[in-house]
Amino acid sequence: MYRKIPFIFLTFALLLAACAPAAAPSPAPTTLPATATPAPTQAPTVAPTQPAPVIEAPTQNLTDGCIAEGQFDPGMDYFPQKAQIEYAAGLSIEYHNSYKVVTVKTPWPGANESMEYALVQCGAPKPEGFLEEQIIEVPAKTIITMSTTYLPALDELGLLDRLVGVDDITYVNNPTVLKMAEEGKLASIGYGSGVNVEKVLELAPSLVMTYGSGAPEYDAHPVLLQVGQKVVVNAEWMDTTPLGRAEWLKFIAVFFNKEAEAEAIFAQIEQDYQKLTTLTASVSQKPTVFTGSAYQGTWYMPGGQSFAAAFLRDAGAEYLWSDDTSTGSLPLSIEAVFEKAKDADYWLNVGFVGSLDDLKSMDARYADFAAFQKGNIWNNDAKTSPSGGNDYYESAVLHPERILADLVFIFHPDLLPDHQPVYYRQVK
Amino acid sequence: MSRWLFPLLALLLLLAFGFSLAFGSVSIPFEQVMRILLGGTPEKAAWADILFKFRLPKALTAVLVGAALSASGLQMQTLFRNPLADPYILGVSSGASLGVALVILGLGSGETALTFVSGFGTFGNFTLALAASLGAASVLGVVLLLARRVQNTLTLLVTGLMFGYLASAVVSLLIYFSQPERVQVFSLWTTGSFSGVTWPQMTVFAPAALLGLGIALAMVKPLNVLLLGDDYARSLGLNVRRARAWIIVSASLLAGVSTAFCGPIWFVGVAVPHVARSLLKTANHRVLLPASLLMGATFALLADLIAQLPGSQRVLPLNVVMSLFGVPVILSIILRQKQLRQL
Repeated sequence: MYRKIPFIFLTFALLLAACAPAAAPSPAPTTLPATATPAPTQAPTVAPTQPAPVIEAPTQNLTDGCIAEGQFDPGMDYFPQKAQIEYAAGLSIEYHNSYKVVTVKTPWPGANESMEYALVQCGAPKPEGFLEEQIIEVPAKTIITMSTTYLPALDELGLLDRLVGVDDITYVNNPTVLKMAEEGKLASIGYGSGVNVEKVLELAPSLVMTYGSGAPEYDAHPVLLQVGQKVVVNAEWMDTTPLGRAEWLKFIAVFFNKEAEAEAIFAQIEQDYQKLTTLTASVSQKPTVFTGSAYQGTWYMPGGQSFAAAFLRDAGAEYLWSDDTSTGSLPLSIEAVFEKAKDADYWLNVGFVGSLDDLKSMDARYADFAAFQKGNIWNNDAKTSPSGGNDYYESAVLHPERILADLVFIFHPDLLPDHQPVYYRQVK
Repeated sequence: MSRWLFPLLALLLLLAFGFSLAFGSVSIPFEQVMRILLGGTPEKAAWADILFKFRLPKALTAVLVGAALSASGLQMQTLFRNPLADPYILGVSSGASLGVALVILGLGSGETALTFVSGFGTFGNFTLALAASLGAASVLGVVLLLARRVQNTLTLLVTGLMFGYLASAVVSLLIYFSQPERVQVFSLWTTGSFSGVTWPQMTVFAPAALLGLGIALAMVKPLNVLLLGDDYARSLGLNVRRARAWIIVSASLLAGVSTAFCGPIWFVGVAVPHVARSLLKTANHRVLLPASLLMGATFALLADLIAQLPGSQRVLPLNVVMSLFGVPVILSIILRQKQLRQL
């Protein structure tokens, strides 16, 4: 008589299974080897020996090559040019004579542990107390990047000649990188846990730089670590201030001993950014702003302490959800957004939308927003490559001052009358 | 029982409908709701818009989808004489998912895709609805074609399942090769929602759903006869193949149109027919079908009401709420019945 019960339970099991295809688990390893397996690509510790014995302490970091054989002096500071971290909350760099310890404090949301890397000057002995997989020899000779956001830093540090592969060239904007790909100098290795391991092993880069989600079935680094590939997790996207994110430029630079260049580039970015915030500090009228659009009834709004909110605050606008205390995004109901933002002055980052008509065809109710009626809708897709790569998520990560200038121009055109928006486009 | 049941079910539906108009993320005082509904001007102009442009179409969508999926599920359970059958058993939802996945994940790269997408308003609900409908319709077409040739209903079920697997495999492949951001958009689609249907879309959605429901109601008699088994139905003079084809058309139209506009909505389609059967203690579709319609609509409204977390600005994914809150309620109803009927 309770014959249906097993059926019902089975139904739910089926439903659960059916609901989960998005999570299609690929057979990814869940545990990492404690010590790295024999790395097949670990040989050239000592580069072609150049005589010219180094006697006095170096005044510059070695951006190319190693300490000559037999010349290592444990008492000598091999990194006279050091990076100072001021804004990047998730990053710290500690210098020792012949190695530097780089800590990524929160590699992904909710991470319990930080990630530490010991960057050893080539030609110096390995420091103790680190696992083999944490030890990376610098300056790195070659690199594969798994996010477009690392490319502008490599470009401006003059390191693109060391780039041997990217995750997917489709979404890249950087003209030099595109040209390299065209000339067949770059490999595409794919995303996440689906990364093409054989290709990586064949290229044998000194370093693969990627990001993590914390779920081993999605992430690339567990797969690469398992085959003994040196891989570092960049968590620039976890930083919640524009300057903080840009400062991760230094994270990339330390792997190439390019601290001096990174410091100079960042100092300029910081100065330009601060100049703009001084401009907006005294504005009396702050226009009200909201961002995003709804999808399946949910409107993802950046949290009040998020990266996006920081930009709006610095640009002299009043973000309608600035009271919120979260750094992620808020899943709001569309009617809640409508009530609060109906009369707002500006609407930014509407998503994949070409025109106001597009926006209206997505959801007719969008036309009821005052910002829509006033035509005050701006999208961050002005610099999108033909294949869909948006430079807002590439070069702008390193150059928040350019985004801020666009935003100041949008909200307070009188402050920057001659500015030509770079990343932003008015939706018409 | 059934004499009282229908007025009661209708009353519950009406109440649930009223609740979903009165409660939502934005708190609107009850007398203001009444004033707006009676044509007055509320204190805040936005409230009238919220009621007419957001809550009313959402509630109507919930009613239609709840009814559609319950009817569709009931038809499938009877047709295949299988209590586990759901509206999506013939692969309709997998077909729809494939259509949507192709738009979100497949067309993502390349210049042509971009122009296609920006021309139609990317991820605009109409584009997705169209893609989902095409996907569902192509699976349905194949199944119907088979239904005309295949004698055995079980064979049909198995082929339907196979097509479902095939479509899911292609979706998984697309996911595997896509950027995480796009996969996220796609997985959002699979959470289901009644909020995406606006009035312009309602003009397509409602007629299609009503047409499917109309066919379903017209097929009540053949459904009753089919309960006796194909052979017996045939000996009673029923053209089994034709009846089967119409039932499939109706069930798939209902499931397809719901999926197209709201994403795949789980649970209602399987659970509600069981609840109707155990409450009514009958297998007569003349009673069972209308009761399922009313209960399905009420259930969908209530699930959406909970998903909206009245008073908070946030929302929960609809499918999550359906199962989380629906399972205990519906299990307790079914388990309390002393005589569980066998189909």
